[in-house]
Amino acid sequence: MPTQPAAPEAARREETLRRLLRIAWSHRADCLQLLALQLLVVFLTVATIAIAGVGIDFARHCVDRAIPAPPLPFFVPAGVADKAVFLWLGGGILVIAFLRAALAYVFGVVSVRFLHGRIVVDLRAQVFAKLQQLSFRFFDSNASGSIINRVTADAHAIRLFIEGVVLQLAIITLTLVACATYMLRTDWRLTVACLAVLPLQVWFAVRFSRRVRPAYEENRELMDRMVLGFSENVQGIQVIKGFALEPAMQSRFAGWSEAIRLQKRKVFGEIALFWPVIDGLNRLSMVVLLGYGGWMVARDEIALGTGLVVFAGLLQQFSAQVTTFAAVADNAQVSLAGAKRIFEILDTDPGVASRPGATSPGRFLGRIGFEDVSFEYQEEASVLRHLSFVAEPGQRIAIAGATGSGKSALLSLIPRFYDPRGGRVTLDGHDIRDLPLAELRRQVGMVFQENFLFSNTISANIAFGHPDASPERIERAARIAGAHDFIVGLAEGYATVLGEGGVNLSGGQRQRIAIARALLLEPTVLLLDDPTSSIDPETEKEIMEAMESAMVGRTTFIVAHRLSTLRRADRILVLEHGKLAQTGTHAQLMAEDGHYRRAILVQAEGTAV
Amino acid sequence: MSKERHEIAVRRLRADEEEADRLPLRWATIARLLAFTRPHRAQRDMLLGLCVFRALALPGLAWLVGHIIKGPIAAGDGAETARGLLAFTLLFILADVVLYWRVRLAHQIGENVLRDLRDQLMAHLLTQPLAFFHARRHGGLISRMISDIEAMRNGIQNNFFITFVSLGQMAAAAGLMLLANPTLFLVLLAIAPCLLLVHGFFRGKILQASRIQQEAFSRVTSALAETVQGIRVTQGFAREATNAGIFTRLVRALADNVVKTASLTALYLPLLELNAQGFLAALIGVGGWIALDGGGASLGDLVTFFFLADLFFSPITIIGGQLSEATLAMAGAERYFRLLDTPPAWADRPDAIACPPLGGQVEFRAVRFAYVPGRPVLHGISFVARPGQVIALVGHTGSGKSTLIGLLAKFQLPLSGQVLLDGHDLDGLRQASVRRQLGFVFQQNFLFAGTIAENVRMARPEATDAELRQAFRDLDCLDLIEGLPAGIHTPCSEKGRGLSMGQQQLVAFARALLTDPRILVLDEATSAVDTLTEARLQVALARLMKGRTCFVVAHRLSTIRRADCLLVLSEGRIVERGTHDGLLAQAGHYAALHRDFLSATT
Repeated sequence: MPTQPAAPEAARREETLRRLLRIAWSHRADCLQLLALQLLVVFLTVATIAIAGVGIDFARHCVDRAIPAPPLPFFVPAGVADKAVFLWLGGGILVIAFLRAALAYVFGVVSVRFLHGRIVVDLRAQVFAKLQQLSFRFFDSNASGSIINRVTADAHAIRLFIEGVVLQLAIITLTLVACATYMLRTDWRLTVACLAVLPLQVWFAVRFSRRVRPAYEENRELMDRMVLGFSENVQGIQVIKGFALEPAMQSRFAGWSEAIRLQKRKVFGEIALFWPVIDGLNRLSMVVLLGYGGWMVARDEIALGTGLVVFAGLLQQFSAQVTTFAAVADNAQVSLAGAKRIFEILDTDPGVASRPGATSPGRFLGRIGFEDVSFEYQEEASVLRHLSFVAEPGQRIAIAGATGSGKSALLSLIPRFYDPRGGRVTLDGHDIRDLPLAELRRQVGMVFQENFLFSNTISANIAFGHPDASPERIERAARIAGAHDFIVGLAEGYATVLGEGGVNLSGGQRQRIAIARALLLEPTVLLLDDPTSSIDPETEKEIMEAMESAMVGRTTFIVAHRLSTLRRADRILVLEHGKLAQTGTHAQLMAEDGHYRRAILVQAEGTAV
Repeated sequence: MSKERHEIAVRRLRADEEEADRLPLRWATIARLLAFTRPHRAQRDMLLGLCVFRALALPGLAWLVGHIIKGPIAAGDGAETARGLLAFTLLFILADVVLYWRVRLAHQIGENVLRDLRDQLMAHLLTQPLAFFHARRHGGLISRMISDIEAMRNGIQNNFFITFVSLGQMAAAAGLMLLANPTLFLVLLAIAPCLLLVHGFFRGKILQASRIQQEAFSRVTSALAETVQGIRVTQGFAREATNAGIFTRLVRALADNVVKTASLTALYLPLLELNAQGFLAALIGVGGWIALDGGGASLGDLVTFFFLADLFFSPITIIGGQLSEATLAMAGAERYFRLLDTPPAWADRPDAIACPPLGGQVEFRAVRFAYVPGRPVLHGISFVARPGQVIALVGHTGSGKSTLIGLLAKFQLPLSGQVLLDGHDLDGLRQASVRRQLGFVFQQNFLFAGTIAENVRMARPEATDAELRQAFRDLDCLDLIEGLPAGIHTPCSEKGRGLSMGQQQLVAFARALLTDPRILVLDEATSAVDTLTEARLQVALARLMKGRTCFVVAHRLSTIRRADCLLVLSEGRIVERGTHDGLLAQAGHYAALHRDFLSATT
């Protein structure tokens, strides 16, 4: 994605934030439920500490009657013996502890159901559905790793925003308010004195997150470079060994590896500073509490237990919350960045989509027309220029031309992988943009240069376009594609699992499965994009036979270099820089003095005996 | 069940190297990992000292708070309170300074060790012969470098030192409480088994749940990866709706697993905290009772325990967490060390000498070879190639052509027989020194991230830009390279994105030419490029081969016709040898091959 200038960048951040807040707001009922639960937990925590304080004061009272007895909690029956009071207090703490544990459990379960069970699931499904509709332009301009990350990692951005920013901030506030309320009831001056360091801690935590995060990002880049270098060394090992480059590659790698260490070294100081400072400030407020509070105890302004000890206990609760401020600041940055990428996908115009109300005429014959078609992948770099021709049903059209002359582009317009910029493509006279997209693509069978097979059984791969296909139908397609024999020869036949960890097929075998996959749908139009290009000449013969039988009765477009294929075509389209330079049968084109004849002669030079 | 539904529901067969992601702690592995800290032992020992100090200082601070409250404050002694607070302040400042250095040193040592681990792995892999890489998945090696080393980082930087500090802190807190009041401490100890019980009960369950969750997650990612990689197929076959349904099911399944794991944790953590509060209840109930009974517990003890108990309990949870993380580090370390301990299948003989400058004579004497014992690939190959000759290797896939070339380059060692260069047995020559005098063009010419110039220069790092251009000029294709946006400085990034197949081959030719090798080894690309580019490649190839002894695994007739001698291989034997015309006249193996060839290409 192109980088935007600074001002719109800030505006976009704000827009993303607003959008995230709107999403959070739409879940307000769930959020409030969680907050209510959390409020109860906080309340019970404070209560436990308070009861412990009462216990200490009451014990002091028992020892020294001059010290006034603290007001006892409601659950201690009036007039029980002193010793029994302790048992009641202890029992109270225990009961509260169980209640609190139960609530914490409910909170945990409810929050994960809501956040992971609903928000993440919905978002992932939404992004995935959208992703599949995007035109190839999107996939051309984004690395597959980054696309995968968007669905897996970035889909958490919105959850993180609700959980780690909105809810967390609310919980911190609740805890602070609850603790502060209790403390203020005891003594406001001591409360202020104890909480004086709080803003300082928050400021430090936020500053820390701001400063360390860029360093983490820099570190990730260095790690990526190291991993890329490592991966290249493994993939290119033959070249490295062949040129005896081991020492050079080792020292290159060591350089990347060392760069990571040095970069980390720079931020250690910053990282190591965080906890000592936060902890030091906490201890400082403890000193203030003991000094000032101790002085107040001495003047009988507050009680030792319900005053001082409870204050100390609450301070501990506080400090646990304060450190989460750093996490909140972090989460805010991470979730904003992730949400931006997610929204980008959700907002992308699919580019190619069915028109509303597009209807299918039912049966197709397979007449393909190009009417003054122009096309470009990127602006200003036209790939096809004013192309016009008609392919009659059942005709075999070969497309020839140099690399980059637009052969693959021409094919990709037929199933609407891209839409042309000018002109129109027709199927049986209908502008293909007026046909339902899925219907159109079912009419068009495709075999690519390199065919992606999925890690699944052979039959599932052949039935890819029609998952309910019967075994007989799958076998029929495989037979036509010349794949049946070798499939049956495999130990598990059609149930053989392909791909990583499974069986690896040869290039020729893979292509034949791809042909069977295309034939299963019995398409009226067949596109063969140079399917023999990455195969040994020896294997090529087998595939050519499979293709021959596949082409029978279908309008076929085939990108080809081989003379044998060109000869058999009803018509050859010769492309030169995106223009239709020549057209005709092999015999006609050989009679003309043009690109075609020159190319064929060069090839003959190379192969003739 | 009339119809079988064929879905792409991603089946993953686990490769053997992926086994367990957690392993119990093994002292030998820990010791080996710790041995990596030996070069930094001064720092390490200092770090351990700091850890001991922290373990003592933390309970000390808590004890001081209790001491100040129950003593001077309760007594209203201002001066004593101030003195106590001064001591407290000094101690906490010291403890925080120590904390700073503890974190800092742990990171420093950790990063140093990680760098060493990375470098050792790379160096070790580079010593492995080619066959090692062919037998392994690329992804497996990458995850050694990323995930396993990352797991070890955590083991070194956190798990070890945090466990160390936590244990010390528990012991110190226990000691202080024992000193303060043995009876109350016994009450506290009674709670500890409950803690261990809860911990033991949940640990296994949570581990297992998280493993299942991890599997669900990897199903999601691999489904996703396939969808992205196969997007053309998916859209081409209009299968979006089916895929979306499958994906949603996988994501739901993952979410269910996340909920399961989290529910366990949601029960586990409150139960652990329950113990701490149970102790508080006991402290107030029992402690208060005893205090009144005059049973030896003072009020002050209650205050002391109030502050110290937490320091005794919280490490238990922390240590539990660290230990379970440590099992991840352990599994990572074991896999890493296993890879590091795999010795190269073979190496140069210790008395091997550097290869003297070559004239270009190559001889195979009764060479036999097998990748897998008992399944020979070459049976007694013998031939002589004189300097300057072009030898074409012809035969079906699997007939042994590439193996023969691998033996010539000493990528493999023959099972028996000899390979001789200018009469020197390869066995007695150092592999790197041999390869420096050979030139290679492989079938798949891997280009490294960087520019064309950088890739060509790999063959001879000191070459100037002018020399690089000269290499392309010698191949008669400088115009093709100069026609690119940035000439020889054009980046050749990710496959498919940057250079075309033909351009990549030209770069590989130039790379081989730059070393001016006496012997050229060439595994011809099978991919057909368009005819005009092909013609240019042919010209370049002819120039590259001129005046060198060449071994070509040939896929093009033009190359075969140019050869001085064809070796026709079949099932690991040379079945025919001679020139193109001579062999055609024999009407044997070669003539049959040639017919197939022609019918495919013309």
